[in-house]
Amino acid sequence: MTQIDIDGENARDGLMTLVITIVELLIEAMEREAIRRMESGDLTDEEVERVGAQFAALDAEITAIKEEEGIEESVGQLRNRLDGLVADAVRSVEEPPQQGTTHEPIDND
Amino acid sequence: MTDRSFETGRYLYCVVRCPETEGSAFSTTGVDGEDVYLIRTETIGIVVHECETLYDTSDVDVVRKWLLEHQNVIDAAGDRFGTPIPFQFDTILRGDDERVRAWLDRERETFASQLEEMTECWEYRVEVRRDEATVEETLRDDERLVELNEQIAESSAGTSHLLERQYEQRLETLKHQQRADRTAALIEQLEPIARDLHDLGHERTTLEMEPDTDDEMTRETRLALLVHEEQQHDIDDLLDDVAADPGVKIRYTGPWPPYTFAPTIEANDTEP
Repeated sequence: MTQIDIDGENARDGLMTLVITIVELLIEAMEREAIRRMESGDLTDEEVERVGAQFAALDAEITAIKEEEGIEESVGQLRNRLDGLVADAVRSVEEPPQQGTTHEPIDND
Repeated sequence: MTDRSFETGRYLYCVVRCPETEGSAFSTTGVDGEDVYLIRTETIGIVVHECETLYDTSDVDVVRKWLLEHQNVIDAAGDRFGTPIPFQFDTILRGDDERVRAWLDRERETFASQLEEMTECWEYRVEVRRDEATVEETLRDDERLVELNEQIAESSAGTSHLLERQYEQRLETLKHQQRADRTAALIEQLEPIARDLHDLGHERTTLEMEPDTDDEMTRETRLALLVHEEQQHDIDDLLDDVAADPGVKIRYTGPWPPYTFAPTIEANDTEP
């Protein structure tokens, strides 16, 4: 089960991990969109340079925060778990999980 | 929602073939220390224990212990009677031995033909893992990647940041494609030798409970094979060839009872 510890001494780390993870995912989604626009020629060279520089700065900032807070590993772990959760959710839509069941194979006469 | 408790039930482990010449005495210890025995009708038997509730807990360690106990019983039955048709953990039939016997009688032909089909066949699990660095090395010559690399070298900081991301995305796509191609090629080689084959992909299974912790290696292929005893050497040889590739590790486990290939029994609750 995925749990984010919000109790006691780990509360800050847990919360920082969660926030940074979400910010990372957001930045990546925006980067993907920027690359898509760059590939389709929607952006001028100047715009590409400016957007790229902004992303590079964000990237450096996030890396610095993770180092400072010592949460590189926990962010990585949370991202893996989220990947797993999403994959599980997709699969469970395709194929509902089977739980223990009793079988009553003999018809009641 | 099924009622979690009932007056009389039988926890089912597996169906086995028991020729009439064979004695039917079989006993071992099952899930949660229960006494396991064999209910038999003519040439087919079913391994069970008496129970009154479903096995349900939120304690992962207990579930793990139960699963292992469940598997141990099926392994013992397999040693004694040959390839069994295993049931999933926590498959319970409401009623006493007589009802189980009546059910087995009714389903005998189905079970008999399944047992016949699986005689001397066992399940094997194959997992191919490949070293990331070796994979990336082989992809470096990709035309688009070379082109991106050149552009990165010529660009100023901001543009090269986006181009680097583009490079990473392209590399990921290529790796993904290569995994799919290699899996398809392996399946094509295995299909003529294996009796049956199932691509497990990322399905979770109870046969391998250790998490995927190896950072440098990426899982490329995960298969369940149903293999006849006579074909096992051919499979071994083929996998040895695959494992000879640089940067490849293979996890190959078995023989297991044919968990993946056993038919699922239909839940057929007639009581509210």
